[in-house]
Amino acid sequence: MEETKSGKSKTIIEVIDSGPLKITGNIVLKDFKRDKEIPMGEVLLCRCGKSSDKPFCDGSHKNK
Amino acid sequence: MSRDQSLSGGRKYSNDEITVYWKPSACIHASYCYRELLEVFDPGRRPWVDMKGASTEKIIETVNMCPTEALTWKWNEEAKNQPVGSDQSNHIRFRRPELLAQDANAPEENPVTVKIMNDGPIVLKGDFSLAYSGINKDFREGIVSICRCGASEHQPFCDGHHRKIGFIG
Repeated sequence: MEETKSGKSKTIIEVIDSGPLKITGNIVLKDFKRDKEIPMGEVLLCRCGKSSDKPFCDGSHKNK
Repeated sequence: MSRDQSLSGGRKYSNDEITVYWKPSACIHASYCYRELLEVFDPGRRPWVDMKGASTEKIIETVNMCPTEALTWKWNEEAKNQPVGSDQSNHIRFRRPELLAQDANAPEENPVTVKIMNDGPIVLKGDFSLAYSGINKDFREGIVSICRCGASEHQPFCDGHHRKIGFIG
């Protein structure tokens, strides 16, 4: 996790090619449909629409 | 009339009390409008805004949910309008005084807000860096909407295609 000039940790969001959205850092997750706990560490969010564990990635994007 | 320049290319819809301004180029498809108030905001209808579909109060409430300046509103009676803080001077969003007070007291957002919209995109809001396709971009009080259905033609961003494919998720 990078430190910004203010000393606050910076939230890094990475779009993984043909894969999920990877978020590292301080977030508040609000899922309007489900009641989900934010996992510890990095968060991987589904971008392909196929995950059975939405909003999280479950690796389904690899199955064509 | 400088305030109205931001309306170029947009449309406006009025009832007896208020006018709602629609600026399509600013829309990030967060989709609060039609999920909250389909009677007024129906993307499948032309014109898509029907000001007779709900009470003024309800329309204001829904327009205020729009995270961008795509939807804004003004009282028709000019004296009733009270602009929000200068930080949003390029917005034409006007809010009722009680909402202004709430804004002033709201704590500064530190964590990035990640909203998973029903059958829609991921909406990211706050200070963050976003890396995609070899690009690395820093956002300050930014707002970005990321495709969650896989069908957007402007990956990784949402372009509203989730509605066309009937995405459920």
